[in-house]
Amino acid sequence: MLPEMVKLRRKGEELLEDGLGLLRPFATTLGMLFTRPITVQYPEEKRVLPARSRGRIILTRSPDGDERCVACFLCSAACPVSCISMEAATREDGRRYASWFRINFGRCIFCGLCEEACPTLAIQLTPDYEFSKATIMELVYEKPALLVDHGGKDPDYDFYRHAGVTEKGEKGSHVNEQEPVDVKRLLP
Amino acid sequence: MSRKPEEASCRLTIDGREIVVAADTPVIDAAERLGIMIPRFCYHPALGAVGACRMCAVKFLDGPVKGLQMSCMVGARDGMVVSTTNPEAVDFRRQVVEWLMANHPHDCPVCDEGGHCLLQDETISGGHALRRYRGPKRTYRDQDLGPFVAHEMNRCIHCYRCARFYQEVAGGRDYGVLSIARRTYFGRYEGGRLESPFAGNIIDLCPTGTLTDKPSRYRARRWDLERGPSVCLHCSLGCGLTVGARYREVMKLEARLNPEVNGHFICDRGRYGFGYESRPDRPRQPRVDGRETIAGAALAALAEGLKPFEAGKVAMVGGTRSNLETLAALLGLCRDQGWRPPVFFRDARLAGAAESAAAALSGDLVASLADVGRADVILVVCADPLAEAPMLALSLRRAARRGAAVLVLDHRPCDLPCEAERLTFAPQELAGCLSRLAHAALRGRKEAAAYLSSLPLPPDLLPETALALDTWGKRLAEARFPLVVCGTDQAEPTLPALAGGLARLLAGSHDQDRRAGFLPLLPGPNGLAAALAGGGDLEALLADIEDGRATALLVVESDLLSRTPEPERWLAALRKLKLLAVCDHLPSPLLEAAHVVLPSRTVFEAGGHFVNQEGRLQRAMPVFSPGLPMGRTLREGHPPRLFMSCAPGSEPRPAADWLKDLAGLLGAGGRAGDWADLAAAFPGLPGLAAGPAPENGRRCLPETAPGADAPSVAKTGSPDVPPDHLQVLLVERTFGTEELSCRAPLLAASAPEPWVDLAAADAGKAGLAHGAWLLVPLPGGPLRARLRVHQDMAPGLLLLPRDPRLLWQRLAGTGVLVELLRLHAITAEEEPAGEDTTLEAEP
Ligand code: SF4
Ligand code: SF4
Ligand code: SF4
Ligand code: SF4
Ligand code: FES
Repeated sequence: MLPEMVKLRRKGEELLEDGLGLLRPFATTLGMLFTRPITVQYPEEKRVLPARSRGRIILTRSPDGDERCVACFLCSAACPVSCISMEAATREDGRRYASWFRINFGRCIFCGLCEEACPTLAIQLTPDYEFSKATIMELVYEKPALLVDHGGKDPDYDFYRHAGVTEKGEKGSHVNEQEPVDVKRLLP
Repeated sequence: MSRKPEEASCRLTIDGREIVVAADTPVIDAAERLGIMIPRFCYHPALGAVGACRMCAVKFLDGPVKGLQMSCMVGARDGMVVSTTNPEAVDFRRQVVEWLMANHPHDCPVCDEGGHCLLQDETISGGHALRRYRGPKRTYRDQDLGPFVAHEMNRCIHCYRCARFYQEVAGGRDYGVLSIARRTYFGRYEGGRLESPFAGNIIDLCPTGTLTDKPSRYRARRWDLERGPSVCLHCSLGCGLTVGARYREVMKLEARLNPEVNGHFICDRGRYGFGYESRPDRPRQPRVDGRETIAGAALAALAEGLKPFEAGKVAMVGGTRSNLETLAALLGLCRDQGWRPPVFFRDARLAGAAESAAAALSGDLVASLADVGRADVILVVCADPLAEAPMLALSLRRAARRGAAVLVLDHRPCDLPCEAERLTFAPQELAGCLSRLAHAALRGRKEAAAYLSSLPLPPDLLPETALALDTWGKRLAEARFPLVVCGTDQAEPTLPALAGGLARLLAGSHDQDRRAGFLPLLPGPNGLAAALAGGGDLEALLADIEDGRATALLVVESDLLSRTPEPERWLAALRKLKLLAVCDHLPSPLLEAAHVVLPSRTVFEAGGHFVNQEGRLQRAMPVFSPGLPMGRTLREGHPPRLFMSCAPGSEPRPAADWLKDLAGLLGAGGRAGDWADLAAAFPGLPGLAAGPAPENGRRCLPETAPGADAPSVAKTGSPDVPPDHLQVLLVERTFGTEELSCRAPLLAASAPEPWVDLAAADAGKAGLAHGAWLLVPLPGGPLRARLRVHQDMAPGLLLLPRDPRLLWQRLAGTGVLVELLRLHAITAEEEPAGEDTTLEAEP
């Protein structure tokens, strides 16, 4: 084929493409005229999001009502934007806990990695996305604002029932544990 | 673990790569040298191999050994072909870790080892990701092992590292293995504080969270710590440390491997001697005449205040705990301004002893801590290793376990973790006894004639003592590597020179490939640099201040009021001063008396160089920037909700910077203060010229000492002690007396109750029993303390620790004598209640 003819043919194809691009939206709009509208009148009307959607973060409690977080720092280590900070401490009853716990929601990208890292199911993302604030400082949440009084998505799990430490229950009293060894017994 | 001398080398192949190592090197070590890290739990280079964990299995494909073997138990041989990735070995290791995990609790979130746990690493790398065992887990009851070590026995994997360290390396007897088979338990017969002053090392050694650091329990993860290499400042050995800090607070110190100094371990004084940097009473704000101000204003006020003084009336006191940069700045300031030379040591005796020890040192004679472990006959003179330099005791034990003979000549009841012969003499007799020993060791040596004739005459000795000294002299002469250790804290000024001279002549008696060593213990981490810089002593300075010969005083990082036996006299003298400026980071009554206070940074914040007793230049890195610990700035339970560019309490500056700026304001020098200046300030350390310290330090002493061929020492006289009188000697203890660590809250709270020592003969005469509460009449008032009676201690002495919990400063002077019969036991009603051993309200 001559080069001129190739050029001409390409031009023709482009023209056809542009024309179709102009018409297709009209066709879609026309089609939509005959379907039911899905617009939600937010904020008057609110959608119920699936429980797994990733919005505002909470710190949950175990079935016995005690806070779940043991200040293990796994969430703060997993967080790609380093927006979780806390200080670990020992409570009067010997239990490890976070003496303060802070999430900077101005920085959080709601990726959910903290929730995945948490071994005690303490930190959980909730479907709540409505917390824009006027200043950045208001987006820095402290522990009292994060701590809720329920177990969130998994209300039954209690880390300390499975751990070997004696913060809740003596040695040998946790799930799947034998009586403590008697080291002074002489029998084989 | 006994390793044969490395005479033969062999060539082996590991994972297709060849390496030449000394024969019998464990294969696991040979692989490590190639950068192949074979998984391990029980093997540790300092503890050797026991083959307990089975984690290091590799496949031997060819050579003298074949099949699946533990790489820590097999010594390297020529022609070995090893595969660490052979499927059989990989599968074996995967199974081992699965077995180890079968009983492991579900604890990582609340385990302090998490994040630097070998078991976590090997579990993941071994490929054991899913638990298959569903049966019940074995559990153990834990013990309270005291204030430093937390015990969580469920996590143990039975690698025996802790027990091997505690019993074999540290010589402790109260911790070890109990029971058998599935019940094997690591702990004490009954719960209680671990007795060994090296117990903290089992925390570093334990590859799991069974033994963790109690003071930092539940506070931080390893990955969140600001960490950096540092040097221990609690004695002159300068052991390597790794500092871990978080939120402007030191969380914990760990041992840092420095093969020629501390090896893998440190003592508990070094490990827990921190915390002074975050004391609430630490000075953090510059002050002028009691009013807080900013740095520039304080410096200007000081410079202005100093101007009217005649140069000869300005005195400076420095501390041996300052870094080399500070000492150099201090020396430079005095030199440029024509001030009196700086004073570092508390009295003339200590200054003399430190200077004579420093003068006796040279590169060809000085011994490192590692050399102690290599020596075969060791003489310890006038030193109490556990009290003055604890890690020396560990090195002595290593030497003794390799068959070295150890003799300790001292007046104190030195407690050593190893076999050693003890001969006790009064401090003033030590030089004479050493002289007898030297005569026996160097008999018939022509080059020793000058030295021998300069020695003091031996005291009258019992025949068996004289015989023992002669025998030890011969042993030293015949030794392959004789080593002399000499303390300075209690020594007569000439004693270190005498001991160093003996070592030098012993070295001379050997063939070329033999050597001798000298290891002095110096006051403070930079005691050698201070001793080489010379200067007067505090007692002489005190007299000068009282007579008005010194009217302005600058004290830089020296806690003189709490270290002097004459605090009242000092306070009166300080009131006479027209200007007193203090630059320090420790709280002290001196700060109250000062006109100008310049807060300095601690070693954790300023870093700096330190020269230990073998002339090794070592560097501490600044680990965090100063400021009030986060925990002390909380508002409503959380950190303040503010944006700030610097933390509150961040005013302290390195002491060297304060001094350099002061020099600038005073108009002299104004030099950059670079490394060349620092090196020039210490002509006795020519090695400084080569630049800052490399990772494991560098020796800086001159290769030979001037006049070393014929060391000669002046004779000393002995003080007159009337019969039935006791000489009161201030002594150091492992815990509670050293200048910095006695301000460490952890050690202060947990150091054993202070006590005074008396020889059994004296106690018998006075009718006093071991353990009794004693009232000691001192010139400044009575002192109450518990008594320990010893068989192996020189009579005529009362040993009083410089422990701030005791009112030892009632001594009110040096060379104090007390009448033996005026000591008396207190009745039960007078005994103080509980832990309180001080008598605050006594007249
Ligand atoms: S959701 Fe992601 S960004 Fe937000 S706190 Fe968790 S880990 Fe950090
Ligand atoms: S991971 Fe969970 S338990 Fe750990 S600190 Fe975060 S919220 Fe607390
Ligand atoms: S306590 Fe630690 S060091 Fe000791 S045997 Fe158990 S795991 Fe090993
Ligand atoms: S021996 Fe001395 S330098 Fe070493 S850790 Fe102990 S106190 Fe520190
Ligand atoms: S490291 Fe070799 S058996 Fe444990």
